Amino acid sequence: MIQLFHINKNFGGKPAILDLNLKIRAGEFVFVTGPSGAGKTTLLRLIFGSDIPDSGQILINGINLSRINRSKLTFLRRKIGFIFQDFRLLPKKTVFDNVALALEVVGERANNIKKSTRQTLKLVGLAEKEKAFPLQLSGGEQQRVAIARAIVKKPLILLADEPTGNLDPILTQDIMVLFRSIHLKGTTVVIATHNQELMNNTALRKIPLQKGNIIDC
Amino acid sequence: MMNDSFVHLISLGTIIVSMLIFGTFLLLSFNIKTWLEDWGHSLTMAVYLEDDISLTNKDHIAAFLKSVPSAKIKRFISKDDAYRDLKIALGPHSDILEGLPNNPLPASFEVILDIHEANIDGFKKFQKKLESYKGIEEVQFSEDWSRRFEGMMNVVRYIGFTIGGCFCLCVLFIITNTIKLTLYSRSKEIEIMKLVGATDYFIRVPILIEGLIQGCLGGLLAILALYCGYLLLVTKKISFLSLAVLEFQFLPYEYWLSIFVISVILGLIGSMIAVGRFVNL
Repeated sequence: MIQLFHINKNFGGKPAILDLNLKIRAGEFVFVTGPSGAGKTTLLRLIFGSDIPDSGQILINGINLSRINRSKLTFLRRKIGFIFQDFRLLPKKTVFDNVALALEVVGERANNIKKSTRQTLKLVGLAEKEKAFPLQLSGGEQQRVAIARAIVKKPLILLADEPTGNLDPILTQDIMVLFRSIHLKGTTVVIATHNQELMNNTALRKIPLQKGNIIDC
Repeated sequence: MMNDSFVHLISLGTIIVSMLIFGTFLLLSFNIKTWLEDWGHSLTMAVYLEDDISLTNKDHIAAFLKSVPSAKIKRFISKDDAYRDLKIALGPHSDILEGLPNNPLPASFEVILDIHEANIDGFKKFQKKLESYKGIEEVQFSEDWSRRFEGMMNVVRYIGFTIGGCFCLCVLFIITNTIKLTLYSRSKEIEIMKLVGATDYFIRVPILIEGLIQGCLGGLLAILALYCGYLLLVTKKISFLSLAVLEFQFLPYEYWLSIFVISVILGLIGSMIAVGRFVNL
Protein backbone atom coordinates (compact mmCIF):
# COMPACT_ATOMS: atom_id res chain seq x y z
CA MET A 1 0.00 0.00 0.00
CA ILE A 2 1.16 3.52 -0.81
CA GLN A 3 0.12 6.31 1.56
CA LEU A 4 0.97 9.99 1.34
CA PHE A 5 0.10 12.41 4.15
CA HIS A 6 0.20 16.19 3.68
CA ILE A 7 3.08 16.08 1.23
CA ASN A 8 4.70 19.34 0.14
CA LYS A 9 7.55 19.65 -2.31
CA ASN A 10 9.01 22.87 -3.69
CA PHE A 11 11.58 23.42 -6.41
CA GLY A 12 13.27 26.81 -6.27
CA GLY A 13 10.48 28.17 -4.11
CA LYS A 14 7.82 27.03 -6.58
CA PRO A 15 5.46 24.33 -5.23
CA ALA A 16 5.45 21.10 -7.26
CA ILE A 17 3.31 19.18 -4.78
CA LEU A 18 0.99 21.00 -2.40
CA ASP A 19 -0.44 19.36 0.73
CA LEU A 20 -1.16 16.13 -1.09
CA ASN A 21 -2.95 13.24 0.61
CA LEU A 22 -3.24 9.99 -1.28
CA LYS A 23 -3.82 6.30 -0.67
CA ILE A 24 -3.21 3.59 -3.27
CA ARG A 25 -4.19 0.11 -2.14
CA ALA A 26 -1.97 -2.92 -2.70
CA GLY A 27 -2.69 -4.48 -6.09
CA GLU A 28 -4.49 -1.41 -7.39
CA PHE A 29 -4.01 -0.03 -10.92
CA VAL A 30 -4.19 3.76 -11.06
CA PHE A 31 -3.53 6.53 -13.54
CA VAL A 32 -2.04 9.81 -12.36
CA THR A 33 -3.23 12.35 -14.89
CA GLY A 34 -2.86 16.04 -15.52
CA PRO A 35 -1.18 18.55 -17.80
CA SER A 36 2.58 19.12 -17.97
CA GLY A 37 3.83 20.66 -14.73
CA ALA A 38 0.92 19.27 -12.69
CA GLY A 39 3.38 17.31 -10.49
CA LYS A 40 2.94 13.79 -11.93
CA THR A 41 6.67 13.02 -12.26
CA THR A 42 7.43 14.60 -8.86
CA LEU A 43 4.75 12.43 -7.26
CA LEU A 44 6.29 9.26 -8.74
CA ARG A 45 9.81 10.33 -7.71
CA LEU A 46 8.60 10.98 -4.16
CA ILE A 47 7.03 7.51 -3.99
CA PHE A 48 10.27 6.02 -5.38
CA GLY A 49 12.34 7.90 -2.79
CA SER A 50 14.53 9.70 -5.31
CA ASP A 51 13.06 13.03 -4.13
CA ILE A 52 12.54 13.88 -0.48
CA PRO A 53 9.41 15.81 0.50
CA ASP A 54 9.84 19.16 2.24
CA SER A 55 7.14 18.10 4.68
CA GLY A 56 4.70 15.23 5.15
CA GLN A 57 5.07 11.46 5.38
CA ILE A 58 5.18 8.74 2.74
CA LEU A 59 4.54 5.11 3.69
CA ILE A 60 5.28 2.26 1.32
CA ASN A 61 3.85 -1.04 2.59
CA GLY A 62 3.99 0.48 6.07
CA ILE A 63 7.61 1.70 5.78
CA ASN A 64 8.02 5.41 6.40
CA LEU A 65 10.43 6.73 3.76
CA SER A 66 11.54 9.64 5.93
CA ARG A 67 12.63 7.25 8.67
CA ILE A 68 14.76 4.79 6.74
CA ASN A 69 18.44 5.10 5.87
CA ARG A 70 19.98 4.98 2.40
CA SER A 71 20.77 1.30 2.65
CA LYS A 72 17.17 0.35 3.51
CA LEU A 73 15.90 2.63 0.75
CA THR A 74 18.12 0.70 -1.69
CA PHE A 75 16.50 -2.56 -0.61
CA LEU A 76 13.03 -1.01 -0.82
CA ARG A 77 13.76 0.15 -4.37
CA ARG A 78 14.38 -3.44 -5.36
CA LYS A 79 10.67 -4.03 -4.84
CA ILE A 80 9.72 -1.05 -6.99
CA GLY A 81 10.06 -0.93 -10.76
CA PHE A 82 10.38 2.56 -12.25
CA ILE A 83 9.94 3.34 -15.93
CA PHE A 84 11.57 6.70 -16.54
CA GLN A 85 10.23 9.15 -19.07
CA ASP A 86 13.75 9.47 -20.54
CA PHE A 87 14.32 5.68 -20.32
CA ARG A 88 17.70 5.98 -18.49
CA LEU A 89 19.30 3.20 -20.52
CA LEU A 90 23.05 2.58 -20.56
CA PRO A 91 24.19 3.30 -24.12
CA LYS A 92 27.29 1.09 -23.91
CA LYS A 93 25.43 -1.97 -22.73
CA THR A 94 23.32 -4.20 -24.96
CA VAL A 95 19.56 -4.49 -24.58
CA PHE A 96 20.09 -7.79 -22.76
CA ASP A 97 22.65 -6.27 -20.35
CA ASN A 98 20.44 -3.24 -19.65
CA VAL A 99 17.57 -5.48 -18.61
CA ALA A 100 19.80 -8.00 -16.80
CA LEU A 101 21.33 -5.16 -14.73
CA ALA A 102 18.17 -4.96 -12.59
CA LEU A 103 18.71 -8.59 -11.57
CA GLU A 104 22.50 -8.41 -11.29
CA VAL A 105 22.36 -5.64 -8.70
CA VAL A 106 20.15 -7.74 -6.45
CA GLY A 107 22.60 -10.64 -6.62
CA GLU A 108 20.43 -12.98 -8.68
CA ARG A 109 22.12 -16.13 -9.96
CA ALA A 110 23.52 -16.04 -13.50
CA ASN A 111 21.19 -18.79 -14.77
CA ASN A 112 18.11 -17.03 -13.45
CA ILE A 113 19.28 -13.72 -14.86
CA LYS A 114 19.62 -15.20 -18.32
CA LYS A 115 16.27 -16.99 -18.16
CA SER A 116 14.23 -14.12 -16.69
CA THR A 117 15.83 -11.50 -18.98
CA ARG A 118 15.05 -13.54 -22.12
CA GLN A 119 11.48 -14.19 -20.96
CA THR A 120 10.90 -10.49 -20.27
CA LEU A 121 12.42 -9.38 -23.57
CA LYS A 122 10.10 -11.85 -25.30
CA LEU A 123 7.16 -10.38 -23.37
CA VAL A 124 7.90 -6.84 -24.60
CA GLY A 125 8.60 -8.06 -28.15
CA LEU A 126 12.34 -7.45 -28.18
CA ALA A 127 13.67 -11.02 -28.15
CA GLU A 128 15.34 -10.48 -31.51
CA LYS A 129 17.11 -7.30 -30.39
CA GLU A 130 18.84 -8.51 -27.26
CA LYS A 131 22.30 -7.91 -28.71
CA ALA A 132 21.52 -4.44 -30.03
CA PHE A 133 22.61 -1.28 -28.27
CA PRO A 134 20.00 1.30 -27.16
CA LEU A 135 21.11 3.89 -29.70
CA GLN A 136 20.47 1.39 -32.50
CA LEU A 137 16.79 1.17 -31.46
CA SER A 138 13.82 3.39 -32.18
CA GLY A 139 12.27 5.50 -29.40
CA GLY A 140 9.47 2.99 -28.95
CA GLU A 141 11.91 0.08 -28.70
CA GLN A 142 14.02 1.95 -26.15
CA GLN A 143 10.88 2.54 -24.12
CA ARG A 144 10.11 -1.17 -24.19
CA VAL A 145 13.66 -1.94 -22.96
CA ALA A 146 13.02 0.45 -20.06
CA ILE A 147 9.72 -1.34 -19.34
CA ALA A 148 11.45 -4.73 -19.50
CA ARG A 149 14.11 -3.55 -17.02
CA ALA A 150 11.42 -2.34 -14.63
CA ILE A 151 9.33 -5.52 -14.71
CA VAL A 152 12.07 -8.18 -14.96
CA LYS A 153 12.53 -8.28 -11.18
CA LYS A 154 8.77 -8.82 -10.69
CA PRO A 155 8.26 -5.72 -8.54
CA LEU A 156 5.52 -5.29 -5.95
CA ILE A 157 4.97 -1.76 -7.21
CA LEU A 158 5.43 -0.54 -10.78
CA LEU A 159 5.75 3.21 -11.35
CA ALA A 160 5.65 4.37 -14.95
CA ASP A 161 6.24 7.94 -16.07
CA GLU A 162 4.62 8.50 -19.47
CA PRO A 163 5.38 4.91 -20.53
CA THR A 164 3.66 5.16 -23.87
CA GLY A 165 4.85 8.63 -24.83
CA ASN A 166 6.96 7.34 -27.72
CA LEU A 167 4.77 4.49 -28.87
CA ASP A 168 2.32 4.32 -31.76
CA PRO A 169 -1.35 3.44 -30.94
CA ILE A 170 -0.93 -0.27 -31.66
CA LEU A 171 2.18 -0.59 -29.47
CA THR A 172 0.49 1.54 -26.83
CA GLN A 173 -2.32 -0.97 -26.63
CA ASP A 174 0.19 -3.85 -26.48
CA ILE A 175 2.05 -2.19 -23.62
CA MET A 176 -1.22 -1.52 -21.78
CA VAL A 177 -2.10 -5.21 -22.13
CA LEU A 178 1.33 -5.97 -20.68
CA PHE A 179 0.73 -3.66 -17.70
CA ARG A 180 -2.68 -5.26 -17.14
CA SER A 181 -1.12 -8.73 -17.11
CA ILE A 182 1.53 -7.59 -14.59
CA HIS A 183 -1.25 -6.06 -12.51
CA LEU A 184 -3.23 -9.31 -12.61
CA LYS A 185 -0.25 -11.04 -10.97
CA GLY A 186 -0.69 -8.75 -7.96
CA THR A 187 1.59 -5.81 -8.74
CA THR A 188 0.44 -2.32 -7.80
CA VAL A 189 0.67 -0.23 -10.98
CA VAL A 190 0.85 3.58 -10.99
CA ILE A 191 1.01 5.19 -14.42
CA ALA A 192 1.57 8.90 -14.86
CA THR A 193 0.25 10.06 -18.21
CA HIS A 194 -1.44 12.90 -19.97
CA ASN A 195 -2.61 10.57 -22.75
CA GLN A 196 -6.42 10.53 -22.48
CA GLU A 197 -6.77 7.70 -25.02
CA LEU A 198 -4.90 5.44 -22.66
CA MET A 199 -7.61 5.86 -20.04
CA ASN A 200 -10.60 5.60 -22.37
CA ASN A 201 -12.83 2.61 -21.97
CA THR A 202 -11.43 1.73 -18.60
CA ALA A 203 -12.94 1.82 -15.15
CA LEU A 204 -9.55 2.06 -13.46
CA ARG A 205 -9.04 4.80 -10.86
CA LYS A 206 -7.71 8.11 -12.12
CA ILE A 207 -5.93 10.59 -9.91
CA PRO A 208 -6.17 13.98 -11.62
CA LEU A 209 -3.43 16.39 -10.55
CA GLN A 210 -3.32 20.12 -11.03
CA LYS A 211 -0.78 22.48 -9.52
CA GLY A 212 0.50 19.76 -7.25
CA ASN A 213 -2.77 18.61 -5.78
CA ILE A 214 -5.67 16.31 -6.60
CA ILE A 215 -8.63 18.00 -8.18
CA ASP A 216 -12.19 16.87 -7.98
CA CYS A 217 -13.54 15.62 -11.29
CA MET B 1 31.37 11.78 -23.75
CA MET B 2 34.95 10.66 -23.46
CA ASN B 3 35.71 7.11 -24.50
CA ASP B 4 36.05 4.84 -21.45
CA SER B 5 39.27 3.12 -22.51
CA PHE B 6 40.83 6.50 -23.32
CA VAL B 7 39.97 7.78 -19.84
CA HIS B 8 41.39 4.60 -18.32
CA LEU B 9 44.59 5.08 -20.32
CA ILE B 10 44.88 8.65 -19.01
CA SER B 11 44.39 7.36 -15.48
CA LEU B 12 46.98 4.61 -15.94
CA GLY B 13 49.39 7.06 -17.60
CA THR B 14 49.04 9.44 -14.65
CA ILE B 15 49.89 6.68 -12.20
CA ILE B 16 52.89 5.60 -14.30
CA VAL B 17 54.25 9.15 -14.62
CA SER B 18 53.65 9.91 -10.92
CA MET B 19 55.33 6.71 -9.78
CA LEU B 20 58.15 7.21 -12.27
CA ILE B 21 58.87 10.65 -10.78
CA PHE B 22 58.67 9.15 -7.31
CA GLY B 23 60.96 6.29 -8.38
CA THR B 24 63.47 8.70 -9.94
CA PHE B 25 63.56 10.62 -6.68
CA LEU B 26 64.11 7.36 -4.77
CA LEU B 27 66.83 6.30 -7.22
CA LEU B 28 68.68 9.59 -6.83
CA SER B 29 68.34 9.75 -3.06
CA PHE B 30 69.38 6.11 -2.74
CA ASN B 31 72.54 6.72 -4.80
CA ILE B 32 73.39 9.95 -2.97
CA LYS B 33 72.97 8.10 0.32
CA THR B 34 75.14 5.23 -0.93
CA TRP B 35 77.89 7.58 -2.16
CA LEU B 36 77.90 9.47 1.12
CA GLU B 37 78.03 6.23 3.08
CA ASP B 38 80.91 5.04 0.95
CA TRP B 39 82.84 8.19 1.75
CA GLY B 40 81.95 7.78 5.39
CA HIS B 41 82.97 4.17 5.21
CA SER B 42 86.54 5.23 4.46
CA LEU B 43 86.73 7.26 7.69
CA THR B 44 90.13 6.48 9.17
CA MET B 45 91.80 6.70 12.56
CA ALA B 46 95.55 6.88 13.05
CA VAL B 47 96.92 5.23 16.22
CA TYR B 48 100.50 6.56 16.74
CA LEU B 49 102.78 4.44 18.89
CA GLU B 50 105.63 5.55 21.16
CA ASP B 51 109.10 4.78 19.84
CA ASP B 52 110.00 2.58 22.80
CA ILE B 53 106.77 0.56 22.86
CA SER B 54 107.24 -3.03 23.88
CA LEU B 55 106.22 -5.83 21.56
CA THR B 56 103.70 -7.07 24.16
CA ASN B 57 101.97 -3.67 24.37
CA LYS B 58 101.90 -3.42 20.60
CA ASP B 59 100.28 -6.88 20.42
CA HIS B 60 97.73 -5.85 23.09
CA ILE B 61 96.75 -2.80 21.05
CA ALA B 62 96.48 -4.85 17.85
CA ALA B 63 94.34 -7.45 19.67
CA PHE B 64 92.05 -4.71 21.02
CA LEU B 65 91.66 -3.15 17.57
CA LYS B 66 90.77 -6.53 16.10
CA SER B 67 88.16 -7.15 18.80
CA VAL B 68 86.12 -4.04 17.93
CA PRO B 69 83.55 -4.81 15.19
CA SER B 70 83.34 -1.20 13.92
CA ALA B 71 87.13 -0.97 13.44
CA LYS B 72 89.44 -2.76 11.06
CA ILE B 73 93.21 -2.49 10.90
CA LYS B 74 94.02 -1.44 7.38
CA ARG B 75 97.75 -1.73 7.90
CA PHE B 76 100.58 -1.35 10.37
CA ILE B 77 103.00 1.42 9.37
CA SER B 78 106.43 0.98 10.93
CA LYS B 79 108.75 3.94 11.54
CA ASP B 80 110.70 3.03 8.40
CA ASP B 81 107.53 2.68 6.33
CA ALA B 82 106.30 6.05 7.54
CA TYR B 83 109.66 7.63 6.62
CA ARG B 84 109.60 6.02 3.16
CA ASP B 85 105.99 7.08 2.56
CA LEU B 86 106.80 10.66 3.51
CA LYS B 87 109.83 10.65 1.26
CA ILE B 88 107.71 9.46 -1.66
CA ALA B 89 105.08 12.06 -0.85
CA LEU B 90 107.64 14.86 -0.77
CA GLY B 91 108.99 13.81 -4.16
CA PRO B 92 111.68 16.24 -5.43
CA HIS B 93 111.76 17.96 -2.01
CA SER B 94 112.58 14.77 -0.13
CA ASP B 95 116.18 15.93 0.46
CA ILE B 96 114.95 18.06 3.36
CA LEU B 97 114.59 14.81 5.34
CA GLU B 98 118.29 14.08 4.96
CA GLY B 99 119.17 16.88 7.37
CA LEU B 100 117.35 15.20 10.23
CA PRO B 101 119.59 13.39 12.81
CA ASN B 102 117.12 10.47 13.09
CA ASN B 103 113.67 9.35 11.91
CA PRO B 104 111.15 11.49 13.87
CA LEU B 105 108.05 9.71 12.55
CA PRO B 106 106.21 7.30 14.86
CA ALA B 107 104.98 3.87 13.94
CA SER B 108 101.21 3.66 13.66
CA PHE B 109 98.16 1.56 12.98
CA GLU B 110 95.90 2.84 10.23
CA VAL B 111 92.37 1.89 11.26
CA ILE B 112 89.24 2.03 9.11
CA LEU B 113 86.03 2.88 10.97
CA ASP B 114 82.76 1.43 9.73
CA ILE B 115 79.95 3.97 10.18
CA HIS B 116 77.35 1.22 9.74
CA GLU B 117 78.51 -0.36 12.98
CA ALA B 118 78.73 2.68 15.31
CA ASN B 119 78.09 6.42 15.54
CA ILE B 120 80.45 9.29 16.32
CA ASP B 121 79.96 9.02 20.08
CA GLY B 122 80.83 5.34 19.86
CA PHE B 123 84.06 6.20 18.02
CA LYS B 124 84.95 8.85 20.63
CA LYS B 125 84.61 6.26 23.40
CA PHE B 126 86.72 3.92 21.31
CA GLN B 127 89.36 6.68 20.92
CA LYS B 128 89.39 7.34 24.70
CA LYS B 129 89.81 3.66 25.47
CA LEU B 130 92.68 3.37 22.99
CA GLU B 131 94.44 6.35 24.55
CA SER B 132 94.43 4.55 27.91
CA TYR B 133 96.66 1.79 26.49
CA LYS B 134 100.34 1.90 27.35
CA GLY B 135 102.67 2.76 24.46
CA ILE B 136 100.23 4.95 22.56
CA GLU B 137 101.49 8.44 21.76
CA GLU B 138 98.36 9.85 20.14
CA VAL B 139 95.10 8.78 18.48
CA GLN B 140 93.97 11.00 15.63
CA PHE B 141 90.41 10.85 14.46
CA SER B 142 88.59 13.53 12.52
CA GLU B 143 85.63 14.15 14.80
CA ASP B 144 84.58 17.35 13.05
CA TRP B 145 84.39 15.67 9.69
CA SER B 146 82.57 12.73 11.19
CA ARG B 147 80.02 14.94 12.92
CA ARG B 148 79.54 16.92 9.73
CA PHE B 149 79.10 13.68 7.82
CA GLU B 150 76.58 12.34 10.29
CA GLY B 151 74.66 15.66 10.14
CA MET B 152 74.75 15.54 6.36
CA MET B 153 73.35 11.99 6.39
CA ASN B 154 70.55 13.10 8.70
CA VAL B 155 69.73 16.04 6.41
CA VAL B 156 69.66 13.71 3.41
CA ARG B 157 67.40 11.35 5.36
CA TYR B 158 65.00 14.14 6.50
CA ILE B 159 64.87 15.70 3.04
CA GLY B 160 64.21 12.25 1.62
CA PHE B 161 61.34 11.61 4.03
CA THR B 162 59.83 15.07 3.54
CA ILE B 163 60.04 15.08 -0.24
CA GLY B 164 58.95 11.44 -0.37
CA GLY B 165 55.93 12.18 1.83
CA CYS B 166 54.99 15.24 -0.24
CA PHE B 167 55.37 13.15 -3.39
CA CYS B 168 53.00 10.51 -2.02
CA LEU B 169 50.39 13.17 -1.16
CA CYS B 170 50.71 14.79 -4.60
CA VAL B 171 50.47 11.42 -6.31
CA LEU B 172 47.40 10.56 -4.21
CA PHE B 173 45.80 13.88 -5.16
CA ILE B 174 46.56 13.38 -8.86
CA ILE B 175 45.42 9.76 -8.85
CA THR B 176 42.21 10.60 -6.95
CA ASN B 177 41.34 13.31 -9.44
CA THR B 178 42.18 11.17 -12.44
CA ILE B 179 40.04 8.33 -11.11
CA LYS B 180 37.26 10.89 -10.52
CA LEU B 181 37.57 11.72 -14.21
CA THR B 182 36.99 8.07 -15.12
CA LEU B 183 34.04 8.00 -12.74
CA TYR B 184 32.52 11.13 -14.27
CA SER B 185 32.31 9.22 -17.52
CA ARG B 186 30.46 6.50 -15.61
CA SER B 187 28.32 8.69 -13.36
CA LYS B 188 25.20 7.98 -15.41
CA GLU B 189 25.81 4.25 -15.14
CA ILE B 190 26.34 4.55 -11.37
CA GLU B 191 23.16 6.62 -10.99
CA ILE B 192 21.12 4.08 -12.96
CA MET B 193 22.58 1.22 -10.94
CA LYS B 194 21.48 2.96 -7.77
CA LEU B 195 18.01 3.58 -9.17
CA VAL B 196 17.53 -0.10 -9.94
CA GLY B 197 18.55 -1.03 -6.39
CA ALA B 198 22.34 -1.54 -6.42
CA THR B 199 23.96 -1.34 -2.99
CA ASP B 200 26.98 0.90 -2.34
CA TYR B 201 29.05 -2.27 -2.02
CA PHE B 202 27.93 -3.47 -5.46
CA ILE B 203 29.02 -0.17 -7.01
CA ARG B 204 32.19 0.32 -4.99
CA VAL B 205 33.81 -3.10 -5.34
CA PRO B 206 34.40 -3.10 -9.14
CA ILE B 207 35.70 0.47 -8.97
CA LEU B 208 38.08 -0.41 -6.13
CA ILE B 209 39.28 -3.46 -8.05
CA GLU B 210 39.83 -1.21 -11.07
CA GLY B 211 41.89 1.18 -8.90
CA LEU B 212 43.86 -1.78 -7.55
CA ILE B 213 44.59 -3.09 -11.06
CA GLN B 214 45.54 0.39 -12.26
CA GLY B 215 47.85 0.74 -9.25
CA CYS B 216 49.46 -2.67 -9.97
CA LEU B 217 49.94 -1.97 -13.68
CA GLY B 218 51.05 1.62 -13.06
CA GLY B 219 53.60 0.50 -10.46
CA LEU B 220 55.00 -2.29 -12.65
CA LEU B 221 55.27 -0.10 -15.75
CA ALA B 222 56.83 2.74 -13.74
CA ILE B 223 59.50 0.37 -12.38
CA LEU B 224 60.12 -0.93 -15.89
CA ALA B 225 60.42 2.63 -17.26
CA LEU B 226 62.72 3.56 -14.38
CA TYR B 227 64.96 0.59 -15.11
CA CYS B 228 65.09 1.49 -18.81
CA GLY B 229 65.99 5.05 -17.83
CA TYR B 230 68.68 3.72 -15.50
CA LEU B 231 70.17 1.59 -18.29
CA LEU B 232 70.32 4.66 -20.54
CA LEU B 233 71.95 6.70 -17.78
CA VAL B 234 74.68 4.13 -17.26
CA THR B 235 75.72 4.34 -20.90
CA LYS B 236 75.82 8.14 -20.69
CA LYS B 237 77.41 8.66 -17.32
CA ILE B 238 81.00 8.92 -18.50
CA SER B 239 80.42 11.30 -21.38
CA PHE B 240 77.84 13.55 -19.74
CA LEU B 241 77.91 13.31 -16.00
CA SER B 242 81.52 12.36 -15.29
CA LEU B 243 80.26 9.99 -12.66
CA ALA B 244 82.52 7.17 -13.71
CA VAL B 245 84.28 7.19 -10.36
CA LEU B 246 80.98 6.76 -8.59
CA GLU B 247 79.01 3.65 -9.29
CA PHE B 248 75.41 4.56 -10.09
CA GLN B 249 73.32 1.65 -8.84
CA PHE B 250 69.72 0.65 -9.57
CA LEU B 251 67.37 0.44 -6.61
CA PRO B 252 67.61 -2.74 -4.56
CA TYR B 253 64.54 -4.97 -4.56
CA GLU B 254 63.06 -3.58 -1.31
CA TYR B 255 62.93 -0.12 -2.91
CA TRP B 256 61.23 -1.11 -6.13
CA LEU B 257 58.95 -3.41 -4.19
CA SER B 258 57.94 -0.40 -2.09
CA ILE B 259 57.29 1.63 -5.29
CA PHE B 260 54.97 -1.17 -6.42
CA VAL B 261 53.22 -1.45 -3.04
CA ILE B 262 52.83 2.35 -2.75
CA SER B 263 51.41 2.46 -6.28
CA VAL B 264 48.87 -0.27 -5.45
CA ILE B 265 47.91 1.43 -2.17
CA LEU B 266 47.59 4.83 -3.85
CA GLY B 267 45.46 3.33 -6.64
CA LEU B 268 43.20 1.75 -4.03
CA ILE B 269 42.97 4.82 -1.74
CA GLY B 270 42.51 7.06 -4.78
CA SER B 271 39.54 4.99 -5.95
CA MET B 272 38.10 4.89 -2.42
CA ILE B 273 38.21 8.68 -2.12
CA ALA B 274 36.96 9.21 -5.67
CA VAL B 275 34.13 6.70 -5.50
CA GLY B 276 32.73 8.15 -2.24
CA ARG B 277 31.32 11.19 -4.00
CA PHE B 278 29.64 9.17 -6.73
CA VAL B 279 28.11 6.55 -4.50
CA ASN B 280 26.43 9.28 -2.45
CA LEU B 281 24.45 10.50 -5.45
